[in-house]
Amino acid sequence: MLITLVTFLLKGLLVTLQIFLIALPMGFLLGISLALVRVYGNPWFSKFAVVYSTVMRAVPALVMLFIIYFVITGAIDLPAFWAGSLSLGIVTSANQMEVFRGAIQSVGPEQMRAARAIGMTKGKAIRYIILPQALRLAIPPWSNEVAIVLKDTSLIYAIGVPEMLRQAEYFSASTYQPFLAFGACAALYFLLTFLTNRGLDALERKINITI
Amino acid sequence: MDQFFLFIDRVGLEFLKGAITTLQLAAVGLTFGFIIGWPVSIMKVYGNKWVRRIALGYTEFFRGTPLLVQLFVIYYGFPQFGFTLSRFASAYLALSLNSGAYQAEYFRGAIQAIGEGQMMAARGIGMNKVQAIWHIILPQAFRYAIPSWTNEMISMVKYTSIVYLIAVPELMTRAQELASRYFDPLQTYSAAAFVYLILVGIMTVITNFIEKSIKTPGFEVEMLKH
Amino acid sequence: MNIPLNNSLLKIENVYKSYGSAEILRGISIDIKSREVVVIIGTSGTGKSTLLRCINLLTKPDQGRIWLENWEITADGADQNKVRQQIGMVFQDFNLFNHLSALGNVTIGLTKVLGMNKQKAIEKGMWELERVGLKDKVNLYPAQLSGGQKQRVAIARALGLEPKVMLFDEPTSALDPELIGEVLGVMQTLAEEGMTMVVVTHELGFAQDVADKIVFIENGKVVETGSPEQLFHNPQNARTKEFLMKITDLNKTSDEPVDSSKR
Repeated sequence: MLITLVTFLLKGLLVTLQIFLIALPMGFLLGISLALVRVYGNPWFSKFAVVYSTVMRAVPALVMLFIIYFVITGAIDLPAFWAGSLSLGIVTSANQMEVFRGAIQSVGPEQMRAARAIGMTKGKAIRYIILPQALRLAIPPWSNEVAIVLKDTSLIYAIGVPEMLRQAEYFSASTYQPFLAFGACAALYFLLTFLTNRGLDALERKINITI
Repeated sequence: MDQFFLFIDRVGLEFLKGAITTLQLAAVGLTFGFIIGWPVSIMKVYGNKWVRRIALGYTEFFRGTPLLVQLFVIYYGFPQFGFTLSRFASAYLALSLNSGAYQAEYFRGAIQAIGEGQMMAARGIGMNKVQAIWHIILPQAFRYAIPSWTNEMISMVKYTSIVYLIAVPELMTRAQELASRYFDPLQTYSAAAFVYLILVGIMTVITNFIEKSIKTPGFEVEMLKH
Repeated sequence: MNIPLNNSLLKIENVYKSYGSAEILRGISIDIKSREVVVIIGTSGTGKSTLLRCINLLTKPDQGRIWLENWEITADGADQNKVRQQIGMVFQDFNLFNHLSALGNVTIGLTKVLGMNKQKAIEKGMWELERVGLKDKVNLYPAQLSGGQKQRVAIARALGLEPKVMLFDEPTSALDPELIGEVLGVMQTLAEEGMTMVVVTHELGFAQDVADKIVFIENGKVVETGSPEQLFHNPQNARTKEFLMKITDLNKTSDEPVDSSKR
């Protein structure tokens, strides 16, 4: 029976990881771009970024999931998997935007002044002076967000995608062992977040410069 | 336009009832999370080896696993051993335990931010450890933790939506019922989202008010709000 | 206060303290008489701060004994909290209780440790704060006070418990230069009133003016002891001479010549 459980969970794990690996980078790219727009962009774009962040962070991920699922399946025939991954990506992009915004602002306007003073354009200053420092500062809160995205993949359960939680449920339904099923699922998530945190800690130590 | 008002009319009451349940769930989760969180954080900072380990186990587990999975373990898993909890009880329990772990971490950070010097000074005037913690460390840690805690208030309102998946009739559940019964899902869920926006807005106003009224000079610490 | 003259108030005997493999204190013995002001000087802060923390038992010495009058405070049964009611400490970083006003900082020890009733505690607190020159700042919070004011509140806080001896751990090292004077002034007044004091400091001017005895500690051992005249003008030990030369050079480059500071 344990072997069946493991098989179920591993199938789910595969899907979970796929969702994770789509949503996270999407959130990263979108988040960082929006953060830059928020801090350095012209007032209109900056305001848009603020609104985006406020709205996306006020709405629960689950609700967002449903909205996007219905928006997307209304327009095109996209499988739940993609709708789920996309909506997770959008939700995390707002959180990541806040993480990077905080980090960029922590780097401090003096750095920008110093960079401009040696003749750099704003763009170059951002790319070579601000961002490298901001990315290092961002690692702790970003690690936090990574763990959140990983755990939020469980929400995709709600639209029927066979990720880990759904697979655990299948197992539970056929063996009447809900505690084992969901407990093992929890343990597996725990292992994943543990490894991710460890990995990110190691990354932080490697890159660490005390600012 | 008429369509819209018709929509509001039929949906409004349901949403209101849902919103109230949402707030109920959030309030209970937050309160018990607070009650659990402080002792756990003190255990983590001042406890002996075993006490610290227990506290660590608790916080690591509840922060390292998804709330939804925790909810399922409680609602579906516990009955296997005879602990059958109602939907609401399961929801309250899961939200409380989960929030407690996160709050414990915030409080731990606050206690540690207060610093060793305060403990030394307190003991320096003859206080014992318990007095020092109660009169000197905790009052300061409490104020320091307020920004994180108010963030937790807002997060909690959002997380309650999860109990939809065990059919607790809060906002999300009612939206889903309405969506399947009357109107197109997009409109209903967007309306629900809007209500959440309002709830969060209200919470933000409340938290700003709390932060302002507890203000003590020297504690205007702006922590990185997430 | 009826303080008997020339009795040993604090006796430090052969104290050793290590942190891990690092030996910080290696057999320190100092005798302090009542009403005496003992200034401890020396290179690098750690050993001297550790010694002070051993005296009020915030740190437990690995070896050695300490007596407060007739009471062996390092003995196993001694009530540490009671000890600390009798020994006041002022820290380099002030460590004021940030959530309490200046008055609150002074009264909390009185009410919660000594069990004084609130009204009496407030009266006493006001008295102590007035003594250090902060009568009009009693309701301000630490964040609203300057460094010198904070340190004076810290002194009032320690004095409130009417300790037998006051320990000062580099009390002015964290202060901007123009604020040092107000704190040293309070300390000098305290000495003139007869308080027994043990002061770790780099302020040689203060040491010269106020100290009865100077102890030079290096590498965890007492190198030389003597009156200010003896130590500053006629140091016996070569390392004492070296240290004094180094530190007076530093003092000379600021505008204060070492031996003429009447504050």
